[in-house]
Amino acid sequence: MTYRKVGRVVRYENGTRISISEIGEASEEDGVFHARPAVEGPAQTRVSVPHSALADLETFVAETGANVAQTLLSVRSGRIERFIASAGIATHEINGSRWTEESRRVHISLVNAPLRALIDLASFDVEIVAKIADALARAGGERDSPKRIRLAPNVSAALLPSLIGELAMEQTGGGFDGRGRPIETRAVTHDPPPNWYRPGYAVRPLRAWMNIRALPFGRIDHDAPIAIALLEPVHGTSLRVLCVDGDDVFPTTVDGSHIAAVSREEPVWYPYAAGSFGVEMML
Amino acid sequence: MAQTLLSVLVRLETIEKINPLLLGAVMPPTTFSIASRDELWLRGALIESRLMHGVATQHGDAIEASDARDDELVHACDRAIDAARAAVASFRDARLRIVVRATHDGIETTMTIAVDGVSVVTTPSDALADYELLHRVRNGSAPLRGAIVWQNGSAAVLLHEAFGHANEHDAAPVTWPSWLSIDAPLASRRETFRDVPLMRMTHLIARQTNAPFVMPDERIEVQLVAGGAYDPMTDVVTVDVAVSSAGPFTIRRSRAEIAASLAGASGEPIRYPGVICSREGQELYVASHAPLMITDGLL
Repeated sequence: MTYRKVGRVVRYENGTRISISEIGEASEEDGVFHARPAVEGPAQTRVSVPHSALADLETFVAETGANVAQTLLSVRSGRIERFIASAGIATHEINGSRWTEESRRVHISLVNAPLRALIDLASFDVEIVAKIADALARAGGERDSPKRIRLAPNVSAALLPSLIGELAMEQTGGGFDGRGRPIETRAVTHDPPPNWYRPGYAVRPLRAWMNIRALPFGRIDHDAPIAIALLEPVHGTSLRVLCVDGDDVFPTTVDGSHIAAVSREEPVWYPYAAGSFGVEMML
Repeated sequence: MAQTLLSVLVRLETIEKINPLLLGAVMPPTTFSIASRDELWLRGALIESRLMHGVATQHGDAIEASDARDDELVHACDRAIDAARAAVASFRDARLRIVVRATHDGIETTMTIAVDGVSVVTTPSDALADYELLHRVRNGSAPLRGAIVWQNGSAAVLLHEAFGHANEHDAAPVTWPSWLSIDAPLASRRETFRDVPLMRMTHLIARQTNAPFVMPDERIEVQLVAGGAYDPMTDVVTVDVAVSSAGPFTIRRSRAEIAASLAGASGEPIRYPGVICSREGQELYVASHAPLMITDGLL
């Protein structure tokens, strides 16, 4: 069973734009994983992603350039340490299935020493970047974690993969997994996931819950302080976050193992693990 | 659009560090070609095998890349990985990752050998010696106090983080001992054709000249290091010791504290069994050498 991926991605990385075209194949035989570029002619002539999608990509590349500039303008009050934005399109083939996916990724780290805010998005959201940059610039000293605290969707999405089997959540159906199997809506449990995650053709696929989302319950206290950004990657269920409480902004560390409420608002997809939907949650 | 973006970046001065390669925006295009082979072996059995090849052409701050194949480089990889396999064929109790990278600048073969959860990074010519080292070293249970004696060239990892990476980030100078000289040149390097080249260390060689050296009575002897990091924002160096007379432990100190802790050294630089250095997600081999060194005040 050979997996084949035809893809093109455009990435801005700290001021450099890189455009990449490639076709790769992967297979597993007798327990050995093999990955290689496809063996035909030059990649530029082999790339055969759908024409309309390619046109969309060119449009998106132009839009991305404008969005990058807007994002930079929105961060007047801080320093951007790292800024990576990418747009990609790929056609996948395996086991008789063929499908096309588009992807958008934004990673920004903002610094106001000794604090570093990490932002990972699946779309350009200048508003959230500006909001975090503004708060970071006003941040005071470390404080104890508030007794009740809300997690913004971009923070809760990063925590969710650490709560698999501990919090009621489901895999969101739609699309195909890394082995061409449909992704179906399922309750997420401690059991082995039914689907396979293949982040790139040269990476051996692993079982994973895809596009997880927490099921809503309880009541969100909209007056509670809110964690608006991660200050470090999530370690287990420990979150070091930038917290806003009225006019006060401060770094704090919270234990995310006990969720008191999950909002009923429409969740937003974030690029954590094999996909995670973020929505406001309450600790 | 890319030129516009660059001008916005420069004008706003909001981005901390512009890739120095952008300064060559008026330079003629450059082309980078690469092929690599990568194999993972577990207890003598092949588990994973990858071939990668591609070409990247850079015009100012824009790079066009594809997986175009350079047969000469692919064949060079094939020959080198055959030789590498032969060098490690007898290591039946290890987890081995062999990586061969061929560019028009040369061929580089590296091997990561892991036994019982402890690993080294080596080259075919040193593979046997480093494999034997892995079987020789043992963690001890001494109390974690006193000076640290950095054996097997392991001080090179400390200096890789505290000197080399700090240099990559244009960190402010700190005062190093007058008896210490460090050669850690930077060059434009990238892991694959998909990556943006960065100014990265090519190697690190630390040397001592007439350094003091008195072996402390109370000491921790470091044999192997698991990894390290340098944070340019906080100027803090982290080193995770894998094997020592006190077992595994972590050092987390400012760069100035690291420099001030260097208390002595002896002999010629010793090759440390390798450093795979990761920055911006790009993993590159950095050959590392340092003499037997002593630090005090880090525990």
